[in-house]
Amino acid sequence: MADTEFLVAHGLRKAFGPFQAVDSVSFTISQREIFGLLGPNGAGKTTVIRMMSTVLKPDDGHISIGGFSVTADSDSVRKLIGVCPQELALYPELSATDNLVFFGRMAGLNGRQARESARENLERVGLQDRARDRVEQFSGGMKRRVNIAIALMSRPQLLFLDEPTVGIDPQSRNHIFETVENLRDEGMTVLYTTHYMEEADRLCDRLAIMDHGSIIGLGTPRELKSEIGNPDRVTLEDVFLEYTGRRLRD
Amino acid sequence: MALVLRQAFLIASKDTRIFFKDRFAMAFAFLFPFIFIVGWSAALSGQGPRDEPLDITLVTQEEEGISLSVIEELSQSVYASVSTRPYDDALAALQDGEIDGFVVFPADFTQKIVSGASTSLGVVVNDDNPDAEAALSGFAQEVAGRFTEAQIAFRAAADLAAQPQGELQAEPPDRTSAEFDSDTAPTVGLVLERVGDVVPFRASNFTLPAYLTMFVFFSAALSAEAIARERQNQTLERLMSNGTRRESIVLGKFIGTAYRSAAQLVVMWLAGILLFDIYLGTAPVAVIAISVLMALASAAFGVLLASFVRSVQAAGSAGVLTSLVLAPIGGCWWPLFIAPQWMQSLAKLTPHGWANGGFNKLMLFGAEAGEVTQELGALVAFAAAFLAIALWRFRTAAQ
Ligand SMILES: Nc1ncnc2c1ncn2[C@@H]1O[C@H](COP(=O)(O)OP(=O)(O)OP(=O)(O)O)[C@@H](O)[C@H]1O
Ligand SMILES: [Mg+2]
Repeated sequence: MADTEFLVAHGLRKAFGPFQAVDSVSFTISQREIFGLLGPNGAGKTTVIRMMSTVLKPDDGHISIGGFSVTADSDSVRKLIGVCPQELALYPELSATDNLVFFGRMAGLNGRQARESARENLERVGLQDRARDRVEQFSGGMKRRVNIAIALMSRPQLLFLDEPTVGIDPQSRNHIFETVENLRDEGMTVLYTTHYMEEADRLCDRLAIMDHGSIIGLGTPRELKSEIGNPDRVTLEDVFLEYTGRRLRD
Repeated sequence: MALVLRQAFLIASKDTRIFFKDRFAMAFAFLFPFIFIVGWSAALSGQGPRDEPLDITLVTQEEEGISLSVIEELSQSVYASVSTRPYDDALAALQDGEIDGFVVFPADFTQKIVSGASTSLGVVVNDDNPDAEAALSGFAQEVAGRFTEAQIAFRAAADLAAQPQGELQAEPPDRTSAEFDSDTAPTVGLVLERVGDVVPFRASNFTLPAYLTMFVFFSAALSAEAIARERQNQTLERLMSNGTRRESIVLGKFIGTAYRSAAQLVVMWLAGILLFDIYLGTAPVAVIAISVLMALASAAFGVLLASFVRSVQAAGSAGVLTSLVLAPIGGCWWPLFIAPQWMQSLAKLTPHGWANGGFNKLMLFGAEAGEVTQELGALVAFAAAFLAIALWRFRTAAQ
């Protein structure tokens, strides 16, 4: 197993002022794995992704992706990853194609490659018919899909999906699941964060439950479920509430 | 470096594309300033001596010399109707209220100039007539400036004549005032402080460049808001994780904003020339140079603001506030040359002030390109300093 570990994170810590947002987080993700990072609002999921995607420096700890250190060799890491942020990080005034082409070119593709890749990726997320329309005219679910398609433009080996399904209908959500599963089948490694337990249960090979900046549970969905009861009876939601408590967050 | 430039130009062209798709932004950048300028030009043109030559009385205490030829040259000016009188005559006319004041060339004027010494022009006005004082001082200042130039040319010619071979070279040595520092170049000073313009100006010759300066800086300042929005919706972080350099983002935003500022300038100048018949002065190239540098300085100002503010709201208010403060200080609301000296000095702290100073010199006082090198240099310095600080301070995340 060790030789296929694509991402290794060890002892990650990050504080914002006096507030410890991430505290001693360690986990590994194997190649072709969909790894879920679950946790209530403010648990520190996005902060972990920002550190892994080279935009935020950890206070302590080490991350390597594809054998490259995220801090020491961030340029090499950036060539391997694609990030779909929690926000819709795109230009609503531009068409779907223009958005994809722009980010593709910024990632180093030339004009022709970028246009070709944009076409492929829009097809992948089912937006080929709306390619020329401005993103601001899209529904929430369509915008989310554009957000994902942009992350695919650099042909990453590791894809970070930070809550890609917030606020969208079951059809769009289902489409996104299928897209993620297809990507995994094609060899991509995925880190996926979500609040939706049934989503994690369906998609993730392994998952970590985070709360208050620390990982409090780690394993396959079945392993986690069997820790609190009969894995065929309990849901991941039960596991989550068992671990994180029922108190309201944020 | 090549990577940074490639990325910067991709960002700039993306931003330009967004701009041209945004009708509101376009209207704000082009239509609104235009309406403003039309309105103010119309309002201001009702006042003041539009196209009416100003009456100027000149007195020379020299029998012969440079002042006489200058007076003769000035008499041909279309902007002012120049008359000469003996000193006592002029003084009496002033006391009778027949004239508002006069400018005096002292008796040793030519001698001082030729010997390379400093001298002064006198401005005589009634104590209770600040308007005349302003107008005549401005006029005298302008004349004095010309003399400093003339004197330099004279010295150059004298140097030439002093060459032992006595050969006359076809071209005089190419010397401009900028090459002389104030220690070596004697100056023609003024008795009164510099204030006021002479040439009766068309309102639009002042208002157009002034409001243009204001709007170009205003629009550029508001680009800080767009940058903050990108920070907030994480496109900047997304770009960073994609291999984009921080410097590429700063430069790209700078170039994109400069494109827009330049487009604004082109449209406004064309409108000014075609619709208002504004006069670009004797050195239109220098007007263009100041415009280009102003576009660069304004764009650098935009990214500078963006590197200091975090939230979109903060960027918006900072853009509006800085513009509202800098525009009047920098002489966009009223001409600097009628402002007190301390305000003129304060204006030098703003890029607006230098841009307006240059435009006024060129478009109202008939300066040559060589006379605005300071303004050009100051705008370059502002642009470079703003950009350097932005490159140093800019952060992509809203933390
Ligand atoms: N730049 C920052 N400055 C200060 N505090 C921050 C910053 N970024 C995150 N935090 C804090 O760190 C904690 C973890 O935030 P993070 O965004 O990682 O949580 P999350 O698990 O992604 O939450 P959510 O599910 O709501 O997206 C939160 O309490 C947040 O307020
Ligand atoms: Mg988050």
